[in-house]
Amino acid sequence: MAKVRFDKGAIKAIVTTVGDRLLSIDEEAEKFGYDERTLKRVKKSMGFHTRRVVSDPSVCTSDLCAQSAGRLFELTGVDPASIDALIMVTQTPDYRAPSTAIILQDRLGLGTGTVAFDINLGCSGFINGLYTAYAMIASGLQRVLLCVGDVASKFAYERDKVLTPLMGDAGSAILIEAEASESHFVLHSDGSGFEHLIIPAGGCRYPCSLEALEPKARPDGAVRRDVDMYMNGGEIFNFTLKAVPEMFDELFAFAGVEKERIDYFVLHQANRYILQNIAKRIGVDEERLPMKTVTEYGNQNSASIPGTINAFLHEPFSGRSLRSVFAGFGIGLSWGACLVETDGIVAPEPLIYKGAST
Amino acid sequence: MSLEEFLEGIAEALDTENELTPETELERIDEYDSIGVLSLMSYLDEMGIKATPADFEKFRTVADLVALAGEKIDG
Repeated sequence: MAKVRFDKGAIKAIVTTVGDRLLSIDEEAEKFGYDERTLKRVKKSMGFHTRRVVSDPSVCTSDLCAQSAGRLFELTGVDPASIDALIMVTQTPDYRAPSTAIILQDRLGLGTGTVAFDINLGCSGFINGLYTAYAMIASGLQRVLLCVGDVASKFAYERDKVLTPLMGDAGSAILIEAEASESHFVLHSDGSGFEHLIIPAGGCRYPCSLEALEPKARPDGAVRRDVDMYMNGGEIFNFTLKAVPEMFDELFAFAGVEKERIDYFVLHQANRYILQNIAKRIGVDEERLPMKTVTEYGNQNSASIPGTINAFLHEPFSGRSLRSVFAGFGIGLSWGACLVETDGIVAPEPLIYKGAST
Repeated sequence: MSLEEFLEGIAEALDTENELTPETELERIDEYDSIGVLSLMSYLDEMGIKATPADFEKFRTVADLVALAGEKIDG
């Protein structure tokens, strides 16, 4: 059972960089083949409005994370050479091999005494990455840099009307230090649902081929290639409604905390509709459970929780001590939640990606 | 819950102005698309009724939803 309590490890800084291009669903409607009625419906139900992506298709997640990390070192005054570990959580690595984390080790000026590797996760990636960072701190390391995010434009086919209007590009850097602080984690995996969110081609099971690069009309009414992400929205919605409220009950029982004593619930920002449904089921209002990230930035995958803190909660997180629940859920299927304490961390508003010079 | 209340609940979940009866064919409801199915799953889930996307592929008329609700409807 992956149910763990730590008494050491604290988040000291969270910085997120988002794509430099602002797209609006009104302008994109024609590309997705939405008629007037559908456009109205996706805006109202799903909360689609604008999203942020990178304008230069050659930009990778590591570029966004590098800008975030650079700013993080500036704001905290932490010497990059003092970082003991660098974890990169992404589904859009620079190369199929080696790990992007190792490339970032050199690029960010970290020492060669750094442990660095990638974790391939999406929506639950921040929780699993944070868990790994806390476990490393428990094992004796002093400073861990966690980089999370995706350039979703890489795997969301531009004309896929189901998935693409949801997606935003973002990369975050999070600093975790060895400091007395209590946290609780619960983590889950269920591979029986692996086909509900999947990039079918490009791995060893279905190597990339000309066939995989062919755009095809699919039964769900969308057009995409086999190298693009497919989402069965209904299955994911059903899974979320069942798994997430149960996970909160499990976390609160494990931590021995009442939900009234939680300052903020920062959840993976899948879409507004899912968040409204979860909020209703766990009985928490929008003031404590922000849900506007998809509406302004798009679904930022593993960067959605830090992205939401930077965009909508930078004042409380940088101003005072808080007890928060973070929860991620999706591709895998994989889901996890944690209860953490923070005390006035460095959490600036999101940075806009500035390009290769940074 | 009465049948009438259930039908009203479905219409509200779908956000449709169509008058629904058990005979209404789901395909004829404009709002019965992928978003509509999510809304219905959420509505049914709140009633304690589990339905999967695969179930919805088999449903043809509103009566299929009524049958799914079974004993939750009492009149």
